[in-house]
Amino acid sequence: MDKAQTLHAEPPTLIALVLFTLISLGLGVVANLAQRKGNFLEKYFLGGRSLGAFSVALTAAVMSGGTFVGFPSLVYSFGWVVGLWIASYMIAPLTVLGILGKRIGQLSRKTGAITLPDLFRERFGSPALGLLTSLLVMFFLVCNLVAQFSAGARIMKIVLPVELTNWFVSPQVAANTDVGYYIGLAIFAVTVIAYTTYGGFLAAIWTDVFQSIIMAIGVMLLFPLAMKASGGLAEATYSGMRQTDPGFAFGPGAGRAFHPIGLAVSYFFMWAITGMGQPSTLVRLMAFRDSKTLRYSIIYLTIYNALIYIPLVFIFVAARSILPNLSASDDVMPSMVIKLANPYAAGLILAAPYGAVLSTVSGWLLIVSSGLVRDIYQRFFRPAAGEREIAWASYSTTILIGVIASLIALRSPAYLQLIIVFSSTGMAAAFLMPAILGSFWRRATATGAIASMATGAGVTLMLYLIGSLGTETLHLDWLLSENPPIGAPSRFRPYYLLGLDPCIWGLSSSLVAGIVGSLLSPPPPEERVALLFDAQPPDAPAPATLDLHPEVGHASS
Amino acid sequence: MPAEIDPVLKNSRREAIIITVAWFLSTVYCCTYCYFTGYTTSSKPLGMDDVKPILGMPSWIFWGVMAPWFVCSIFTFWFAGFYMIDDDLGKDHTGELEQDIREGGLDG
Repeated sequence: MDKAQTLHAEPPTLIALVLFTLISLGLGVVANLAQRKGNFLEKYFLGGRSLGAFSVALTAAVMSGGTFVGFPSLVYSFGWVVGLWIASYMIAPLTVLGILGKRIGQLSRKTGAITLPDLFRERFGSPALGLLTSLLVMFFLVCNLVAQFSAGARIMKIVLPVELTNWFVSPQVAANTDVGYYIGLAIFAVTVIAYTTYGGFLAAIWTDVFQSIIMAIGVMLLFPLAMKASGGLAEATYSGMRQTDPGFAFGPGAGRAFHPIGLAVSYFFMWAITGMGQPSTLVRLMAFRDSKTLRYSIIYLTIYNALIYIPLVFIFVAARSILPNLSASDDVMPSMVIKLANPYAAGLILAAPYGAVLSTVSGWLLIVSSGLVRDIYQRFFRPAAGEREIAWASYSTTILIGVIASLIALRSPAYLQLIIVFSSTGMAAAFLMPAILGSFWRRATATGAIASMATGAGVTLMLYLIGSLGTETLHLDWLLSENPPIGAPSRFRPYYLLGLDPCIWGLSSSLVAGIVGSLLSPPPPEERVALLFDAQPPDAPAPATLDLHPEVGHASS
Repeated sequence: MPAEIDPVLKNSRREAIIITVAWFLSTVYCCTYCYFTGYTTSSKPLGMDDVKPILGMPSWIFWGVMAPWFVCSIFTFWFAGFYMIDDDLGKDHTGELEQDIREGGLDG
């Protein structure tokens, strides 16, 4: 039996989660009503480029199941060094939203792009690049979706009353199977698929904002309770050092070299730089209302990050005094909540991780389905499809992707947090450099972008393959030294070449490949580049129009 | 005569460079400070007496993470609040691209 099932949540906790779920579904219905006018695809997948500052900030907070399950576990296990692990969140709002924000917002308007493959395809004038982007987005996001569905099911399982599982199967069967997990998965999947499919992008955004507020309230409630119960941070620190070793208060961490200095440098890339290259972030950069919105969202996100992550470190260091020697550190969050808060407050706080997973999944479902509908179905098979046909294709694709991810998640994958880190690293290694080069370098070409994308994704995959299978199995021990025992312990892990995380190797190889590939290929057509890099009159055409009607370009220039 | 560069591109590039420098400085400061004051090495074992708590935190976390976090937040408020320029991002060509896809089909 899973350890989490031994945790006991009071019935009010379930009531809070049910309310939470109903509000999310309601927001899906309201979002559907709000986006009935205008171009269906732009509304359904991009919210009509109408996102306000609060929405951009809270939905860019990149919180997922890991924030409330994996992260607390790391703090409890390895101690204060996790503060350095997360430290780049101090600058992440500026880097993630500020470096590419305005330029991606402008390019997506100039090209008319509503998806990431759309954007790359139109910027570089390459259908092959658009297709490659779609395929890579789908591969990495489906890996990630399976992990998130599983995280949602695990949280739901904790709050489900035992009577409910007994109502479905006999106690004997329940004892031998993980029926709580399956019921939790079904409830989670139906909720998220329903409100995302019906409400589209706006539903995903609104529920994300609602859920982010609940998460902040949850952390704010838990913080004073934890401080009071622990007798103070210093006492908790000494307690942690006595329970583990002196590494609890210092780097590289208690028990093992969790965060040596090479990884500390890597994680300033991981959160602050790779965050820019996530499809979910890039889509939000295409959807914000105007430059002022972007500026305010950076400020709001800075405040939000400080209110969430710093208290989380304090709370779970304090957990060492409150729950000493917990055998399953993954349970530290629900265990703390159930121990410290009254059942109603516990329901609200436990809704936070559930909301984090829900909001992550809804955004990603839409990115995958938009890739299939816009970039494959409409572009390659049914360019002349009407609004109604596109609408039904979008609804059914969103449901289909959700069902497939749920079915794969029936067999709960191990290493949830590491799967999430792997796919986030892979997506950043694939998409960030093409986005940067395409935004700021007029000489960047489609060949360079394809080389950059393929190299970044390839290097990341290769390092995870070597790390997970081992250098000996792959007969590479003559070339590579043994994988250093750093980072979180797991069988699914990357190969830390020179002690650095794969994100550094993926990003740097992607940058080099993008520059070399561009310089070795013929320069891009000047007329297309001029539309995107030079000052243009207000009636300048989109690049796609220029391809179909070259005379328009001559007329406007 | 060379064409005039897009003003949004010009402003975005300048802002991106400043943000990148800020990120670089925060990375170098945090990692260097924390390594030299808060990391145990074979030549520098650390123990209970080295915690030296400030507001309950080990002193290296206070000066190596929390203090720069505060400075970065102030810088971000100034940068996003007063320095970044409100550029006009231009006309939305979504309808035009939609039309082009219908006309261009496979090659659009």
